[in-house]
Amino acid sequence: MGLFQHKDHKGLTDAEAFEAEQHFFDENFREELRNHGRLYFEKVIKENGKIFKEDLDATIASVNTELKDHTDKQLEEAIASIKAELKEHVTTQLDGQFTEFSAAAKESQDVALKSLTDSADNLKKQHEDLASTLQKSIANQSLMLESLFQENMNKITAVKEANEAALQSLNQSLDELKAQNEQITEVLEKKIATQEEAIIKAFEGNMAQVVEHYLLDALSDQYDLKAQLPSIIKQMELNKQAMVDDMKL
Amino acid sequence: MSEAEAKTHETFVLPARVVSRVDVSRLVSEIEWIDGELTAAAVRSKTGAEKPVQPAYSDQLNDFLKDNGLSLDDGRERSTLIKEVRLLKDTAPVIHMTFAVPADHESLQELAQWLRTEIHPQALIAIGLQPALVAGVYLRTPNHIHDLSLRSVLKGKRDSLVKELETLRGQ
Repeated sequence: MGLFQHKDHKGLTDAEAFEAEQHFFDENFREELRNHGRLYFEKVIKENGKIFKEDLDATIASVNTELKDHTDKQLEEAIASIKAELKEHVTTQLDGQFTEFSAAAKESQDVALKSLTDSADNLKKQHEDLASTLQKSIANQSLMLESLFQENMNKITAVKEANEAALQSLNQSLDELKAQNEQITEVLEKKIATQEEAIIKAFEGNMAQVVEHYLLDALSDQYDLKAQLPSIIKQMELNKQAMVDDMKL
Repeated sequence: MSEAEAKTHETFVLPARVVSRVDVSRLVSEIEWIDGELTAAAVRSKTGAEKPVQPAYSDQLNDFLKDNGLSLDDGRERSTLIKEVRLLKDTAPVIHMTFAVPADHESLQELAQWLRTEIHPQALIAIGLQPALVAGVYLRTPNHIHDLSLRSVLKGKRDSLVKELETLRGQ
């Protein structure tokens, strides 16, 4: 069943059909169609974009792998070439330097050997000179030592005599000192005994003061006046007559 | 002649509460004040005013009046009493007593009583404090000094203490 089933299209003219078509395809219907087309177009674009992106990613990954392989290969070749060249160059340089060092060392050894030989000759000559000089010097010194020995012997004899005299004098002084020491000891002992006595006496005097002071400190504030009153009155009783006489004066 | 006129400063009996010259001065002041009050009251009573309240006496004054058989009712007697008590203050012998501890009032009264019984009936005490005395009293009468303190006793016994120490050293 259609929307326009009750209508009969068969009897329409072209003009009527155009008009009916114009009537049917109005502005709203066209807008609907445009929107439908736009949506369909966007959907197609999205699907194609997704496929295109996947293809592009796969292509980039493939290119990356190939580029990496190619770069590694190139680098290995270049490093192998540089290594071979460098090795050859260093070997050549080292050989040249070794040759130069060998020549210089040989020359130095020759010079040193010559110098050592000369020094040995000089030393031998100097040794001979020194030996003769030493012999002369020893002879001279032997003579001098002999005379000095004699002189010292004389001096030692004199010193010994002087020492004996000094020892005798010292012994005499020692005896005198002993006597003086005994006298001083005796005097000191007497003085010490005297001072000891004086100190003990002073100590006893001070001790009496200390005891007194202690008693004063210990007894002060111990008794109030009420406690002391009987003792005070007793003391005043003993002095009563003197007080009465004083009042009469 | 009334009792007050018969009593003079030489015959006053001092109660135990009156210990020092200050106490006597206080008695003089109090009698003078009472005399003033009573004279004023007498004048006011002549004018017909209400009779004033009798002034209260201190314990010292009460004892003094009682011991001497005196009263303060008569104005002339009061004047004589004032004069005599002043004379008493100036003439009563003072004994200076220095103690090692602060003196309490009861002990002072007892001492004053003893002094008035044994030494002089109107003796007054001037009090001093000297802790170095330790105990006892340092007593000064008008012309003499009596050191009855423990310090003095110890000082006097110092020689014997030294001798004791010498004995100990000898043992």
